[in-house]
Amino acid sequence: MSTHVSSLLFHRKWILAISLPVLIAAWWAFRPEKLWINQKVNEAAPFASSTEPQPLYTGRLQGEANQTNGRATVYKAADGTEYLRLTDFSTSNGPDVHVLLGRSGDESLKQEIVKGQLDSIELGSLKGNQGDQNYSVPPSANLQKYDAVIIYCERFHAVFGMAKLEQF
Amino acid sequence: MLSKIKVVLALAALAFTLGLQTSARAQDTMKHEDGMKQNDGMKHEDGMKQDDNMKHGDIMPQANDGKALETGTFHGKVHNTSGRATIYRGEDGKLILRLTNFKTSNGPDVHVILVAAKDADDDANFLKSSTKRLELGKLKGNEGDQNYEVPSGTDLTKFQTVSIYCERFNANFGAAPLEKF
Repeated sequence: MSTHVSSLLFHRKWILAISLPVLIAAWWAFRPEKLWINQKVNEAAPFASSTEPQPLYTGRLQGEANQTNGRATVYKAADGTEYLRLTDFSTSNGPDVHVLLGRSGDESLKQEIVKGQLDSIELGSLKGNQGDQNYSVPPSANLQKYDAVIIYCERFHAVFGMAKLEQF
Repeated sequence: MLSKIKVVLALAALAFTLGLQTSARAQDTMKHEDGMKQNDGMKHEDGMKQDDNMKHGDIMPQANDGKALETGTFHGKVHNTSGRATIYRGEDGKLILRLTNFKTSNGPDVHVILVAAKDADDDANFLKSSTKRLELGKLKGNEGDQNYEVPSGTDLTKFQTVSIYCERFNANFGAAPLEKF
């Protein structure tokens, strides 16, 4: 009887002696508590520039009907006005080409040729099919909703290119 | 289908007659409503000339304080990672990687690295690739804006992806492919 009890105790000790280091090692490797402990930081921008126009949204232009390249960025100027700037921009020239803000999820943008009216905000006629250019964005424009820049040929309802804007 | 072909044909004919070579070039400068005022308060080696130019509204004073070179957004499936990575070049030529709106899962021994690849996949796929890596430092926090110095002389045409990398498990928490800003 007594030997049985002592062997049980002996067993327990061994179980403890083996499992404890294993548990500690597992904890060190996986650090499971980090799953719900967040480490927040908030460093300032390396180059403070409150007077420079600040980029709000940006995206790469992708060709749809015609090859289109470049970057579209919406800036907020020091006076609060917002404008769209195209850089490294190139598309094919065409008749009656406009710059629009549209909804990136818009079903009618899935086709190269848009049927019917496009839900969009007009920013102006395309100034050039190559080069850097600016377009002012109306203050009423909701860029959360209209989150895509569209190079659009009004005459043929053709989407030349599109950029999905993402927060900068 | 037929109408689509017609439209495309019409477009092609029009483009041909107009001549596609006549590319209209635009070259807008960055906007600066308060360019004048600001210039008064700024130091410029060639202050006079710059001021003259501003009055004509031709050029924009180049951002003295850091230019965004490349940017990209994070994606990560296994460990949800989101936010933006941007590489700036300071006036002194220093390269700095800045993470904004950043969020990933916390973990042990997590680092920020540059990867010599166009993009990096999640976990398993990351293990297979024997691509070059460049250590930028330990992840300062799993949430929030943060800056990391990029060694000068780093070839950004080669190292095109930022990765949040768990060294202990050789796992890629998330990656941001960089593109020209």
